[in-house]
Amino acid sequence: MVTCLADVFYPEVGEKIVRLLRGLGVTVQFPAGQTCCGLPLFNSGYHAGAAAVARRTIALFGDAEQVVVPSGSCAWMVKHEYPGLMTDPADRTAAERLAGRTHELSQFLVKRLGRRRFRSAVGGRLTYHDSCHLLRGLHESESPRALLRDLAGSEFVELPGSDECCGFGGSFSVRLPEVSTAILDKKLASVEATGADAVVACDAGCLMQMRGGLSRRGSRVRALHLAEVLTPEETPR
Amino acid sequence: MSEPEPATPFRERAGQALRDTFLQEALTIATTKFIGLRREAFAEFPEGEALRDRAREIKEATLQRLDHYLDLLIDNVERHGGHVHYATTSEEARRIVLDIARRTGARTAVKSKSMATEEIHLNDALEAAGVTPIETDLGEYIIQLAHERPSHIIAPAIHKTKGQVAELFARELKRETVPDPEVLTRIAREELREKFLQADLGISGANFGVADTGTIVLVTNEGNGRMVTSLPRVHVAVMGVEKVIPSMTDLAVFLAILAKSATGQKLSVYTSLVNGPRRGGELEGPEEFHLVLLDNGRIRQIAGPLREALSCLRCGACLNVCPVYRQIGGHAYGYTYPGPIGILLTAMLNGTESVKDLAHASSLCGACLEACPVRIDIPRMLIELRKDVNERRIAPWSERVVFGALGRLLQHPALYRVAARLGRLLQRPFVRGEVIRRVPLVFGDWTRTRDLPPVAARTFQERWAELERPGRR
Amino acid sequence: MTTKAEFFDRIRAEMGRTRDLAPVAPSVRPARPRERLDVLRRELSERWRENLQRFQHEFERVGGVFHRVADVGEAPEAIARIASERGLRRIVAWHAGALGVDVVAPLTAKGLEAVAAPDAEVAGDERERRRALAAAADLGVTGADLAVAETGSLVVVSGAGRPRSASLLPACHVAIFDREVLVESLVQAGLVLEAWHDGAAPPGRGASINVITGPSRTADIELTLTRGVHGPREVHAVFVEQGLASRRV
Repeated sequence: MVTCLADVFYPEVGEKIVRLLRGLGVTVQFPAGQTCCGLPLFNSGYHAGAAAVARRTIALFGDAEQVVVPSGSCAWMVKHEYPGLMTDPADRTAAERLAGRTHELSQFLVKRLGRRRFRSAVGGRLTYHDSCHLLRGLHESESPRALLRDLAGSEFVELPGSDECCGFGGSFSVRLPEVSTAILDKKLASVEATGADAVVACDAGCLMQMRGGLSRRGSRVRALHLAEVLTPEETPR
Repeated sequence: MSEPEPATPFRERAGQALRDTFLQEALTIATTKFIGLRREAFAEFPEGEALRDRAREIKEATLQRLDHYLDLLIDNVERHGGHVHYATTSEEARRIVLDIARRTGARTAVKSKSMATEEIHLNDALEAAGVTPIETDLGEYIIQLAHERPSHIIAPAIHKTKGQVAELFARELKRETVPDPEVLTRIAREELREKFLQADLGISGANFGVADTGTIVLVTNEGNGRMVTSLPRVHVAVMGVEKVIPSMTDLAVFLAILAKSATGQKLSVYTSLVNGPRRGGELEGPEEFHLVLLDNGRIRQIAGPLREALSCLRCGACLNVCPVYRQIGGHAYGYTYPGPIGILLTAMLNGTESVKDLAHASSLCGACLEACPVRIDIPRMLIELRKDVNERRIAPWSERVVFGALGRLLQHPALYRVAARLGRLLQRPFVRGEVIRRVPLVFGDWTRTRDLPPVAARTFQERWAELERPGRR
Repeated sequence: MTTKAEFFDRIRAEMGRTRDLAPVAPSVRPARPRERLDVLRRELSERWRENLQRFQHEFERVGGVFHRVADVGEAPEAIARIASERGLRRIVAWHAGALGVDVVAPLTAKGLEAVAAPDAEVAGDERERRRALAAAADLGVTGADLAVAETGSLVVVSGAGRPRSASLLPACHVAIFDREVLVESLVQAGLVLEAWHDGAAPPGRGASINVITGPSRTADIELTLTRGVHGPREVHAVFVEQGLASRRV
């Protein structure tokens, strides 16, 4: 599942994931006609619309063995909210099936494939931001860290306040842009204080927010998706 | 509507708060400290997680038999010689307290910290009736002198610097002083000691009402709770109906997690159990005890979407971790209860209309749910409120049109693809290198402070054909 | 004005509208709390030394000052020492029967002004006079009906001869206690509270129970901790090894 943000704004992230997975011997399919998981509609309280989009997505991925998602928030939407949005019992069963087979990227790599050692595509020092839905929704903080710590060719340092929101929150970022930016400034100050060359995240929304702020302030620090730092060749140690 | 609507829109109030550098610094220091204290307290307390689950269950169990437990509480309070009153609205609650004050002949009333009395705007009513209310919790005392409302559920004057407090004391109490918290505290102690000893009426809230024994429980740190419930001739406790709990055994569960969640203390300094008016042989204690049971929108939520919010212990933990609260503080919310739970409580007391903007004052990060001692799923209820705002057409028409269009677009891949291509076309004049620095309309607010990525030259779906080519690895 | 019936009608109507609630139960309570408490006390008496140590540790952690005396005769001396170190002179105390020791005579003998609470109901103006004494006092002496090791808390029950003010108005509070009142945890304190409220209250017991965990404090001004806001600035606990013969609640 590419997700709308990655599809439209960060297609290179999608590409890198495909190459990465193929490099690990995974056959990658891509059901055509994907749009969005429906989270923006859901979070803003447009649940009829969200349910319609969800139903469509469930049908689209009906045959998939496993579904990999580059964003923690989208993976959360599918796993946690899809079943509840379905009123029809058959739809609900299908939603639950999909939920059970859906994984955020780092979870898929570490927990499903058991792979955690990769070569880094970027040198220098990396730090990690815990996206809210991945951390608190999917209870996942270890898999991305395992991958980043074991990366050959780069150094990992913890980000103080890594579990604090970046201020994106979907439409929140444009409904309350001043508050969103104040929260972001706090996050970026922490990032810059680590001396890292890049902050890594597993969510396109967080990336859009952090990258947008870093670029505006002319920072040398980059905001990268996890897929952008992992190269497909697994490194034996 | 229980509370008046604020005069300025939320976004404006938030903006003001963001520009207030004193406030920004105070909020950062205070919330960071509280977060650390709470974390340490629970780190040393491995049973904490199981107790939080238990606490949530006890609250739910109580709601499932609320009539039974309230009835039991009332019987026991009356058995102790207390009087129980029933207030459906905040107006009625005020009238009940004023009647008691009038019958008592009270001229002053000392108050210990009570969000319930803030919620019903009791102080204004008392003053209008010629009874001087005196807040005795130091933070509340400070804001009362400053004619402000509390900005945090447990630390009401968190937004004030010691310099501001010193100036306030100099101005209002006519006491020259220095910006030293020790000295300022001493002044408050002296000023208020006299008031405690002279007051005719003591007004408190209640953290818990133990049904099995008819006991009202107050959790405080300063001693004012004890003074207010022991020195004046008449004691009135205003308690939301949801504060009832079944037994003392249940009380021990809540006490184990409440102070830890609020301030990181194992217990607050004073946990005061009040079993009605004074008994024969006691030197102190009120002659009369009154319990005012407050509805004010709570009862409707027993079967309502905000039912879970009835479990709130008013500890303030969610405020301390909320990225929005941490940036804007309590006053910007514009109602009695700020922060994540405050949005839900405001909706409970004043209706959905009152939170049409506040329901969106959240990035849905979930830190509140994580911190809540009784695991209230605040983000879920915020989304429900947003849904309610849309369904009642309280949300602006333009927004509903946009989201309606978005919904349709996302169901039709052809439309979605067209939209992407259209975006690519329309963005051309705005793309500078690899980013967009300024766009008009909706995303203009984003680009005032952040760059936007442009729509990619080819979306992932447009590239897939190449990626998929057979034999390609 | 809303009547009780109207209030409950609304509550029941709303309760009737709830759907699909998974049943949950509140805490399981002891069927015979007083018996359970007796059993608990016997068990605790074996472990009192460890519990005392834990109590002392937690009590000091919240700012309490811990003292230990061998027998009840030494308790007034400990109080006198606390008073003289701080230049305190006026003392109000619980009645000797509630304390398990007469402190007034020995303290008066040392030149301090000590007064104990009467043990029975007194007239209104006498109550006023006593209140003024308490308000003017520098030090208040009470017993402790419970000492909770987990939190370093002292629990005081009010009643005849046990005025609330003694642990509240003077700037210094001294509580005398022995091993009988030690419990380990809040859970056990919950059992004690169940037991105390099981059946009719004994004559002379008052309407107020306070769990006191350290001296009065606030951090309301810039989160700077200050002590002695309204309640005592200092809390002392004097442990009497040989025990006290105080009237129980």
